Amino acid sequence: MEILLFGIINSVTLSLTALGFTLVYSISRLPNFAHGALYVTSGYIVWLCVNTLGMNYFAGIAVGIAATAIIGALMYRLIIQRIRGMQISEIIATYAIGLAIIEGLRWGGLRGSTFTLPSFLAGSMKIGGIAVDNQRLFVLGSGVVVFAALGLFVKYTKTGLALKAIAQDERAAMMLGIDSDRKALVSFALGSGLSAFAAVLILPLGSIVVETGYNVLIYSIAISIIGGLGSWGGAVVASFLIGFAQILTEVFLSTQYTMVISLLAIIFTLLIKPSGIFGKQKELDDRV
Amino acid sequence: MGKRFGKNVWAVLFLALCVGGISGVAAAAEQPIVIGAPLATAFLYGWDAERGIKLAVEEINAAGGVNVGGKKRPFAVEVIDTRDLEPGVPVSEALLGVEKLILEKKADFIVGGPVRSEAALAAMDLLSKYKKVSILTTGVLTPAYHKKVEGNYDKYKYCFRITSHVGVMANEFITFLGDIKKGHGFNKVYIMVQDVEHARKGGEFMKKMLGDKGWEVVDMKVYPTGTTDFSVGLRDAAQKKADILFLWMDMPESSILLKQWSTTKMKSLPVGFVNAAEQPGFWNATEGKGEYLIVNLVNGGNAPANITPWTMKFAKAYQKRWGLEPEGYGTSSSYMAVYTLKEAIEKAGTIDSDAVIIALENSNLMGVYGKISFDKKSHQVIPSLDPAQGAVTSIVQWQKGKRVQVFPPMTAEGKVLLPPWMK
Amino acid sequence: MSDGRARKERIDRGIKVRSDGLYAVSSLREMLYLSGPRILLIAGLLLLPLLLDPHPYWRRVINILCVYALLAIAFDFLANCVGLVCLGGSMFIGLGGYFAAVFNVHLHLSVYLSIPAAALAGAVASTLLILPCLSLRGVYFAIVTLMYPLLFTRVIEAFDLLGGSNGITGLDSFPGSNIENYSILLTLLAVLFGLRRLLNEDIGLVMHAVKDNDQSVRASGIDVVRIKTLAVFIASFIGCLGGAYLAHVYMWAGLSLFALDFSIIPIAAVTIGGGGILFGAVVGCLILVPLSEFLRFFGTFRIVLYCTALTAFIVFKSEGLMPYCARKYQQFERWAGA
Repeated sequence: MEILLFGIINSVTLSLTALGFTLVYSISRLPNFAHGALYVTSGYIVWLCVNTLGMNYFAGIAVGIAATAIIGALMYRLIIQRIRGMQISEIIATYAIGLAIIEGLRWGGLRGSTFTLPSFLAGSMKIGGIAVDNQRLFVLGSGVVVFAALGLFVKYTKTGLALKAIAQDERAAMMLGIDSDRKALVSFALGSGLSAFAAVLILPLGSIVVETGYNVLIYSIAISIIGGLGSWGGAVVASFLIGFAQILTEVFLSTQYTMVISLLAIIFTLLIKPSGIFGKQKELDDRV
Repeated sequence: MGKRFGKNVWAVLFLALCVGGISGVAAAAEQPIVIGAPLATAFLYGWDAERGIKLAVEEINAAGGVNVGGKKRPFAVEVIDTRDLEPGVPVSEALLGVEKLILEKKADFIVGGPVRSEAALAAMDLLSKYKKVSILTTGVLTPAYHKKVEGNYDKYKYCFRITSHVGVMANEFITFLGDIKKGHGFNKVYIMVQDVEHARKGGEFMKKMLGDKGWEVVDMKVYPTGTTDFSVGLRDAAQKKADILFLWMDMPESSILLKQWSTTKMKSLPVGFVNAAEQPGFWNATEGKGEYLIVNLVNGGNAPANITPWTMKFAKAYQKRWGLEPEGYGTSSSYMAVYTLKEAIEKAGTIDSDAVIIALENSNLMGVYGKISFDKKSHQVIPSLDPAQGAVTSIVQWQKGKRVQVFPPMTAEGKVLLPPWMK
Repeated sequence: MSDGRARKERIDRGIKVRSDGLYAVSSLREMLYLSGPRILLIAGLLLLPLLLDPHPYWRRVINILCVYALLAIAFDFLANCVGLVCLGGSMFIGLGGYFAAVFNVHLHLSVYLSIPAAALAGAVASTLLILPCLSLRGVYFAIVTLMYPLLFTRVIEAFDLLGGSNGITGLDSFPGSNIENYSILLTLLAVLFGLRRLLNEDIGLVMHAVKDNDQSVRASGIDVVRIKTLAVFIASFIGCLGGAYLAHVYMWAGLSLFALDFSIIPIAAVTIGGGGILFGAVVGCLILVPLSEFLRFFGTFRIVLYCTALTAFIVFKSEGLMPYCARKYQQFERWAGA
């Protein structure tokens, strides 16, 4: 029972953190290695709003998400748009920007363990005799809501449909008059906003440290590869796989190996089915 | 043609300036005694040492300086950021930093780091090569350090350590927990440690010793650095009805663990080594959920206490200088290292390494956390539970926003309190 | 045909044209023009330790610089000549370093034997590990090589192998700082020129072809996987050589040999210095490493600086410094037309 409960919580948390990365890649074929940096930045902005500017917590959250989305959009417009199409340059550029942001934050004072965000819900409740803190349940709930919302967004709104179209076949979408550049900008801003959203949900569980940026990036890459670069459904399935694998390892093997699991899973996937579980890339394209 | 000529002249001038600048910097640091401090200044265990060293140096210089064979010379501090606590940084950075201090900044002594055990162990060979005396004051909890000195005295005699290590800390915990056992009748321990060498060794040592002393160690879990979810372990501990949750964590995620412990109102008392809890800001950071946590601060004086008359003097001076109470665990030791060095230099009458080594081996001063003296063979500071006999630790409990000293008994200011939901 | 607008055109410099022929030998100036850059490179590198003699700290920096240069050359070779982007250069350093430690401390081989042996062992190990993903294209090679160093650190830490978090200490150092400097400098030069020679041979042409269009190479009946394996072997040999050398310089091998820095700085160096010509990698390192030392005072801020510089170069001047300088050296621009 506890495996189920903790497994689900862990998986949803993981998928939330990876959501921004998956979104951006699926729409614009752009691996955003600055994902982790944006995650930490949003947490720091909210902290600044609440602690230094004395804003109301929810106002601070709104500012944080909006600011991160704007940073993402700027990053795209000013830097990445110029190097679209050269995949290697994109990877290196986004990685360099991410690194610059993370180290810049560290230099600017984000050190030590004293930066935290207050939880939304205090206390805990017992589910089936197991004590779970309310904040985690809130994360679980919000995660489900976000997925549903995204699913609806993509099915029923014009922008969402346009994004989906670009993800399926960029050329055809362009022929229909969908501006690929504008939509990529929107998807980037949306992806950054989503990572900020995940951050404000998950960071209250602990404290804000820059190392989280690196960890988030590794998990996002792992989930994207296993689920298939570019597939949202795959990302969710992959995060459940990894989430449960981690919990199972903890319970039955030893806690020591939980981090190794995700990395081994990547290697394993690449060996067996490189395009991932639901990968939409044509296999021929991937093999020599 | 003229344009290119102009550019060439500029290039040559620029190069000349660089070379000149380097030699200028090298030539300037001759008169004062230079203390080189290789530290990871962006981390708690770097800046705690930096502040301790600077405070001591400022006090000594204000009082006139160090008496070297009749001449009074001031101390000068050169701090280099080694970044060795950052996960993605190679230890060669730290070693380059140490070399820069020795070769370019002409450091006479090395105090402080390197902070990471790997780097410190690797630096020992460097220090022996350049024959520079070093006093380690923060980070490096591994017993391997002083064992290495003992194993090859002639090569590594330049290395001293004035801060405690895992072996001593574990023994202190055993004694402390023994007292609690008698007081509250606890019996079961659940050990959760981080997957780094000093934490693993600490945990294994505790497991064995606790078992010997009649405790039931229900389980021991090792968590890799970066784990963000301790639900399974905490639930396991609650199910097995552990009375004591023994922790040894050096990662920021330890605050996640404590928040979960508090929110789910676990009926266990958390005791151990938790770096997040060593800062005064810990209280606000956990919204008070960190109350009742018992933390070992490795060396006394890292939280205000009354171990010796010097302790509160130091705490007040620190607060005045840096605006907050002492934090981390390298603060008091770094402060004392500078004073111990001063005493050794004055005794030896020279800054020559071999003479200072002999003087350090014969150190005997009553410091911030007790009597400071080194073991002659391993150059490790001699520990004790009595400040008059040796260096004393601080085990504190967070009570109502303050760190209250609860161990050793001779220096305790308060009793161990249990969280209300455990009564 | 002129449309009334001025445009820029590039014309070879006079001296380049004149020195292109048989009679360059007759003019000292033309000989200098031809041999200048080459002599500057070789003599400059070799004289560096002598010039920096009064500053022993900077001589140590040369060693690190050469290791980074070896890594950068390996990265450049893989990325721009074979089409494989290796984001995990630290894997080579780590493997080379650990093998050197094992050979030197446990098997008691001397310094001069353990370094080549470690390079060879490391190259074999890397190639075997990367082999499974060589039949894939695209971004997978990059991600796999990015993951491997992280995997190694976690595995070594989790299973407490090879000294665990403390690493292996007690490696022999070099007998003197001259030998330290010159051995690596000569190795660097040998690798640089040797690799360039290789690229001009037939096998080099095939490698370039793999980068451009591997399907056509396959259609010609050449086994692409075999070529890629060979390229990875060569690059990893170079990288592991650097790692083994580094382990001996610092007399220690540990977890942080797999650090991110060793992966990032070569990429930055190649981007800044110019890709595809191997020498750009060396120039990039010559700029980045001393700069990094000068900026040591700024702590972590220097990472921000060189990441920003890296991004700026990628976006605005993606050809890098060396091709730009080479072009300026050989051609000049002027407004023409209209």
